[in-house]
Amino acid sequence: MTEPVWVLDEDDALEVLAHLVTAARTQVDEAAEYGPLRLLTAAHKVADRLAARASEPTAAFARDHVGPLPELAVPREGRDEYVARLDAVCAELGALLARRYVPGRSS
Amino acid sequence: MSGESDPNPVLDAIRSRRVVRAMTDEPIPRETLERILDAARWAPTAGNRHLQRFVASDDPGTLRALRMVSPGMLQRPVAVVGICVDRDLAVDYGFARHAHSLSVDVGTAAATLLLAAHALGVGGGPVTSFSRAAVGAVLDVPAGWTPEFLVCLGHPAPGGPGALRRGRRVTWQDLTVWAPRP
Repeated sequence: MTEPVWVLDEDDALEVLAHLVTAARTQVDEAAEYGPLRLLTAAHKVADRLAARASEPTAAFARDHVGPLPELAVPREGRDEYVARLDAVCAELGALLARRYVPGRSS
Repeated sequence: MSGESDPNPVLDAIRSRRVVRAMTDEPIPRETLERILDAARWAPTAGNRHLQRFVASDDPGTLRALRMVSPGMLQRPVAVVGICVDRDLAVDYGFARHAHSLSVDVGTAAATLLLAAHALGVGGGPVTSFSRAAVGAVLDVPAGWTPEFLVCLGHPAPGGPGALRRGRRVTWQDLTVWAPRP
């Protein structure tokens, strides 16, 4: 476990908080296909900050795996490709978390 | 005619307008914003009632807060026009307060605003994904008005997220059937 590092300041966190709360409301009326899109926008907001301030493994994940995810992609068209791409990012995330939190895991 | 320009300037403007999702921080002169707003009042309104209202801002702090409460606002505009409905006036005319038909005039105003901005060399991006309650508070929208549509304005910048859907351009034939002739 590494020492805690502040990677979001109050304004950054407030922006993400505002996005999540207001997206919860807008999603009630929006097409369901926008659900993943709004969550990925939130992920991009966090990843942009992480990439600048976090430890190298976390920054690399944010930069190399979250960063390239298209912000406006929706699962309705090309659902299999969409799911496969998110699964790949999720797998990278799982590996990152294991390396960070599970003793003895280095890969 | 497919993707090429049209010799008619109005039709060409309609065909060449694009949603702008990446904008520079170059300010838009107030007189340009006023010309865009002036064009919006010419948008068709049902019964010539003019139930739509506009709240405009080019204040950086206001725009920052607006963006925070608008999940669909991916661009960083230098000005925003909020299109509202004057619900109190609509009720005076005999509409139900939340009648769906009130949204029609919001749409015509939005289309006119976007086209006017394009005609003046300003990029526009429509946003409908926002918290009405939060935007009302940020813009200090007068009582009885409800914000329904945000038009982001700014000069186009390279990059930014691509179109929501890619692939073959939709033609008018894709969208249209002729009603049977008697």
